Amino acid sequence: MKKWFRKLLPLFLMCSVGIAAVLIGVTYFDFISRRIYNDSTGHLEEIYGQVNRSFGSFIKTNWGLLESWGDYFSLAEQSGSGSFSSASAPDGKTSDPDDETLDLDSETLNSDGKIPDLNDETLNSDGRTPDPDDETLDLDSETLNPDGKIPDLNDETLNPDGAGAVSDPSPDEETDGSVPARAQSEEADPISAFIRAEQDYWGFSEFYFLSEDEICMTLSGQKSRMKLGGAWSNLISEKEPLMASETISTGHEVIVFASPVPHGEYKGFGFDAIAVSYTNADMADSLNVDAFSGKAKCFVIHDDGTVLLSTQTGGNVFDNYLVYLKAASDLEEEQLNRLRSDWQSGTSGLLQCRIGEVSLCILYQPVGYQNYILLSAVPQDIISAGFLSVQKTTISVLIVIFLLVGTLIVGPIILRSRKMSLESRRELQYRELMFNVLSNNVDDIFLMLDADSHSVNYLSPNTERLLGIPLQAARDDIRVIGRCAADGDIVIPKKDLEAIPLQSSRYWECEYVHQKTGERRWYRMTIYRMKIQKAIKYVIVLSDRTEEQQMNQKLQEALTAARSANEAKSNFLSNMSHDIRTPMNAIVGFSVLLEKDADRPDKVREYIHKIAASSHHLLSLINDVLDMSKIESGKTSLNVDRFSLPELLDDLSIILMPQAKAKSQSLEIYVQGAPSEQLIGDRLRLNQILINLLSNAIKYTPDGGQIRFQVSELPQVSHQYARLRFVVQDNGIGMSEEFQKHIFSPFSREISSVTNKIQGTGLGMAITKNLVDLMGGIIKVQSAPGVGSTFTVELSFVLPEQEEPDPWYRQKVTRMLVADDDEDICLDIQEMMRDSGVDISCVTDGMAAVEAAVQAHHCKKDFHVILLDWKMPGMDGVEAARRIREQIGADVPILVLTSYDWADIEEEAREAGISAFMPKPFFASVFWQTIAPLFLDHVEQMNCGDAEDGVMEGRLFLVAEDNELNAEILTEILDMEGAGCELAVNGLEAVKMFENSEPGHYDMILMDVQMPVMNGYEATRQIRACSHPEAKTIPIVAMTANTFAEDVRNALDAGMDGHLAKPIDMDAVRETVSRLMTQKGEDK
Amino acid sequence: MRKRKVPALLLLAAVFFLTACGGKSGDPNHTVLTIMGRSSDLEKSYMTSIFEQYEKASGNSLDVISFKDDEFEERASEEFRTGNVPDLFLHFHNTDLNRFNVSANFYYMNDESWVSDLTDGSRAYCTDKEGNLLGLPFWENSISGCYYNKTLLDSLGLKPASSQAEFDVLCQVLADTGYTPICWPAKDCTWMFQFGLDPVFADNPELLEQLNRQEISYSDIPAVTDMAQWVADAAAKGWFGSDFLETGWSDISPLLGSGGAVMTFIWDTWFYTDFSGDNNYSVDDFALMPVFMNTADEGTYEGGNLNMMMVNKNSGQLDAALDFLSFCASGEHYNTAFDGISTLNCFKGQTTNIQSPMVTNAAESIKAHERVSTAASRIIGYSADDVASAFGDLLRGKTDAAGCVRLMDDYRIEDSEKQNTTEQ
Repeated sequence: MKKWFRKLLPLFLMCSVGIAAVLIGVTYFDFISRRIYNDSTGHLEEIYGQVNRSFGSFIKTNWGLLESWGDYFSLAEQSGSGSFSSASAPDGKTSDPDDETLDLDSETLNSDGKIPDLNDETLNSDGRTPDPDDETLDLDSETLNPDGKIPDLNDETLNPDGAGAVSDPSPDEETDGSVPARAQSEEADPISAFIRAEQDYWGFSEFYFLSEDEICMTLSGQKSRMKLGGAWSNLISEKEPLMASETISTGHEVIVFASPVPHGEYKGFGFDAIAVSYTNADMADSLNVDAFSGKAKCFVIHDDGTVLLSTQTGGNVFDNYLVYLKAASDLEEEQLNRLRSDWQSGTSGLLQCRIGEVSLCILYQPVGYQNYILLSAVPQDIISAGFLSVQKTTISVLIVIFLLVGTLIVGPIILRSRKMSLESRRELQYRELMFNVLSNNVDDIFLMLDADSHSVNYLSPNTERLLGIPLQAARDDIRVIGRCAADGDIVIPKKDLEAIPLQSSRYWECEYVHQKTGERRWYRMTIYRMKIQKAIKYVIVLSDRTEEQQMNQKLQEALTAARSANEAKSNFLSNMSHDIRTPMNAIVGFSVLLEKDADRPDKVREYIHKIAASSHHLLSLINDVLDMSKIESGKTSLNVDRFSLPELLDDLSIILMPQAKAKSQSLEIYVQGAPSEQLIGDRLRLNQILINLLSNAIKYTPDGGQIRFQVSELPQVSHQYARLRFVVQDNGIGMSEEFQKHIFSPFSREISSVTNKIQGTGLGMAITKNLVDLMGGIIKVQSAPGVGSTFTVELSFVLPEQEEPDPWYRQKVTRMLVADDDEDICLDIQEMMRDSGVDISCVTDGMAAVEAAVQAHHCKKDFHVILLDWKMPGMDGVEAARRIREQIGADVPILVLTSYDWADIEEEAREAGISAFMPKPFFASVFWQTIAPLFLDHVEQMNCGDAEDGVMEGRLFLVAEDNELNAEILTEILDMEGAGCELAVNGLEAVKMFENSEPGHYDMILMDVQMPVMNGYEATRQIRACSHPEAKTIPIVAMTANTFAEDVRNALDAGMDGHLAKPIDMDAVRETVSRLMTQKGEDK
Repeated sequence: MRKRKVPALLLLAAVFFLTACGGKSGDPNHTVLTIMGRSSDLEKSYMTSIFEQYEKASGNSLDVISFKDDEFEERASEEFRTGNVPDLFLHFHNTDLNRFNVSANFYYMNDESWVSDLTDGSRAYCTDKEGNLLGLPFWENSISGCYYNKTLLDSLGLKPASSQAEFDVLCQVLADTGYTPICWPAKDCTWMFQFGLDPVFADNPELLEQLNRQEISYSDIPAVTDMAQWVADAAAKGWFGSDFLETGWSDISPLLGSGGAVMTFIWDTWFYTDFSGDNNYSVDDFALMPVFMNTADEGTYEGGNLNMMMVNKNSGQLDAALDFLSFCASGEHYNTAFDGISTLNCFKGQTTNIQSPMVTNAAESIKAHERVSTAASRIIGYSADDVASAFGDLLRGKTDAAGCVRLMDDYRIEDSEKQNTTEQ
């Protein structure tokens, strides 16, 4: 309580002093303003009261003058003298016609005879007009004729005929004599002279004689109609003097003062009244007030508002001021009516109104004659100018007093309060410092937002560190933080924020991206809705939950992986169960049938064929599963070594061509450009990839279809690498777009009426994809159902550092004839042979080849080699060769280029004189290898296909096989091939049997790998290490179900010479035996 | 393009040939008078009417030679140069007339019988500085002045001005009261300035002559600078409204009709041809007072620009041509021709035309303050567009009054040099 009181005391005191000062000020101002306003308006009333009185006096004077002149005219007429003397006395005074009302003080007139300015000092010191009883108009003295007589209207000085019809020349005109016209006129017309003298003295602009028929005549005799504001009857009948506005012939307005006089006649014009006129400007001068900065306007108006004259500089444009006020001011109808009523009743008054931007103070007072009103309009600010000045001074004084009092009273309190505030602020600063240090060292962001404006009240400085955004940018616009969200922008709807109960919170999980590092972090955004100092605020805490989130994520991933693995396992088992059971079912089923129909050879062959087919499918399935398993477990590695691309393609051709041929398909292997022929890579895997793709193409292309296999080298980006593109294109059944999306997933096979009839494991493409990935390549597929498929594989291979030196025989070939109907092939051959220096002539048919060869022969420039395509339109390669031989003899080697198996035509070709065959596609290295024997004068036996025939015959194999069934099968097969074998049931026994054997007893050892007691690898190592004379040379071949490349490498590493996969393929056995035996022979 | 007959006469000619074939065509007394003028001028209904009346009454024919308006001056002066001077020539009394060697080619009509029937204004317009009457004014006549909304002024308890000072007061009172005093179509209208300049040169012919002889310039005439200063001050005081620079010809009618502006400097026939009057105020709400532009204290009106029928004094058919003019100046004939046409009188005896009540009511004032169109017609090199351009710079604050007048001079001198014409 005490603390609260101490805090509020200064404020309370300050408020009290302030309120007191304001109250005093307001009261004082009110008093002063009323007082000054009253004084100002009083001053206004007094000034215009004086103006009004002077104006009234002016009217009275004019009427008095007119009346006196009328009397003179009357007297003159009665006296019959008919002559007037000038009214102007030498001293400037007019003569007194004995009318006391005209006895004006001479000082009311200006020295120049003009109407006096009512504000000048001609007014008495008391502000009243001079006393009209003075003797200023004493006309009976010297102002009369020199002879002392009143001028006589019938004087002979008038027209000779006495009718007064002679026009009076203009006062300014001069006759042709030396005497001025006016002087002559005055001499002739004393009335005119008298009036002119009066005019000079009083300053009126014109004098008129008025007849009762509303005609007026000037002294010069000009007649015109005068309206006098429709008050003729008052003048003539009622004999009342009047003042009216009149528009004269020039269009200008004048003020006319008229007075009835006894009937008289001047120049034959009968008159009953006389009048003088003043210009508006002259009249305005008489009403002008120098006070109020000249901004006050004064009007003489009728009680209906019609303006008689105004002091407006330039002239009067107001016709009716009441109408003007009604139209232009903010006066209400009631106020206007009251105004009209005041004017009609002759009441003075003061009112304020606004016209446009100006506030006016309007003062009106009756003139006292003919219901005329003197109206003045003065801008309010002009009247209040003095007040405003006092007001400013007062305000200044009060402020000073207030400040002094405030300083004395409140000063010590403020000082004390300030000290406390300083301490409090310091404490706050410490707290803030502590908080900043704390927030800088934690990974939580603190933020306070105003609920209405969403402006940032506080933002912890660690924001920049945690989110990578400038602190000021976030303070300027809080949405900057929202934009750091990983998924674009976090905007929490206002209604959600407002839905948080006061003093409660709600939280959201958000992922933010650090704007500088790109790091993603998870935050829990907790929003508290608080009421702080009557304002709703949102206190937001962004707590870093990244580690927790990552942990959750890992757990989730692990869970997902476990589920996935479980699912995969289930799927795998399901697939395997199905895929294994299917061929097994056939094997078991046909085995039963085989037993039943054992005595029917045709059925036996049929069942065996089907059992064999199912067995092969089962085997390929097992191979694929194992391969896939190996790849997916990440245990697959590449066996990188140098290999020949042409050889690879040749092998592919050999393997796949028969399959394509069996389905009457055309398989074109096409090499584009001149790809690098020697590469370093995993030939086996590449072979596997390409066989998968090509065998699939063959498999899923109907009979008679076309398969094109194209190899090209992409532009080199490095001299160390070659990137090759392999494209397998078919016009087979194609694939749906949907299936293409998961063609590389395991066990994916498109289900259709066509594919259902084609055996497949659904693992081939998955393996292919994995192998391509493993080799760092890419594989793409384009396909459309019914149109065909195109698989593109791009792989990079290391290029060997050193090329083999050119063999000597290359120098013997400098001219060569190529005949192929495909011009592209011709160009490719030229391209590939470009570096060899061989001049290649190309023709596109057999006849042209014959002609070229014969012509070259006749020119004694035989080609060194002639290369003929086998299949050419018109004349094929064999026929062309025959004709060339007929013409040029047998000296020039003739090669046939073919992608077909040439076994069928070999005999015919030889007869035709063909030296050798070359496989398509053409490779330079193959070419040189092919022609080398021809130049060595060593005719190679072209029957290379029989090399393996009989190779097994008479051989004795040491077979290490623990499986009795496998051992029996192998024994039988070898027996069928004319070979014998001795069995060892494990590795150790095999070692012992070899060690105990005589040199040359065994031709080869077939070694199972997985065996009890001692496995095949160990047994091999011991054999190689033993002292048997053939320990190092005896061919040992692994014979195992472990078929992976690693298995092959392990076998070779253990000292084996080859690897045969189970189940045993006799062709493979023959080939291996043939090769190893040949090597063994060469070694010897 | 030289048209041998105005289209309206084709039918008449056809009737003539059908009814009088073999008659007057072979009559040795049959006369064909050639008359040359602008095509749009010659196609006016009162012109075709008087031609028709004449041909019907006299049996003579009029060969009408008309040129496109924009080609007229060039083509007609070419005809004159090559000696093809027509019997009758229709032209305004302006500086372009100097191309046609007036004293050598045209007949002075001071002594013609019909001269006394001409109104003072029309006669003054057709008279040259030596006092010779150059032709018969046979045209629509109008009076230009300050047309103001009398109803509005009455409702404000205000009167029209009779002097420049009063006019200024009136404008300020209107502005203070929240009205736009003057509709000033500065965007595309150019005629206002010639109204202000008329008194300067009409009242002081010697100034006009000195100016045309290039002995003095506008800058040497204080009244011209006074006018420029008045326009600048009026704009600054808001008398033209706030967006007068964007106010154009098409805005005048809606502004006056709605009371958006109280006054404008224009001519009476505009109210019958272009004022829609379908807003708050109709033509009956307007009245006429003089134009005040600080060049004449009592204000000024500009009389109409009239086409004159001039006679080739060297024509072999001079008598017939003068007879034709007498025919036109006959009350019976001109009243037939101008029947129902909104125009002021060119002839005192005109009775069938429609005269604007605004003009009729201001007859006395017009009589006192009307001036012949002088600036636009008589100043060599005067171009309303150029003057408006100079004032445009002034009103946009690019120059002051003296600069504006200097610009007017520059343009005038340039144009006069282009015209390369001097008074004959």
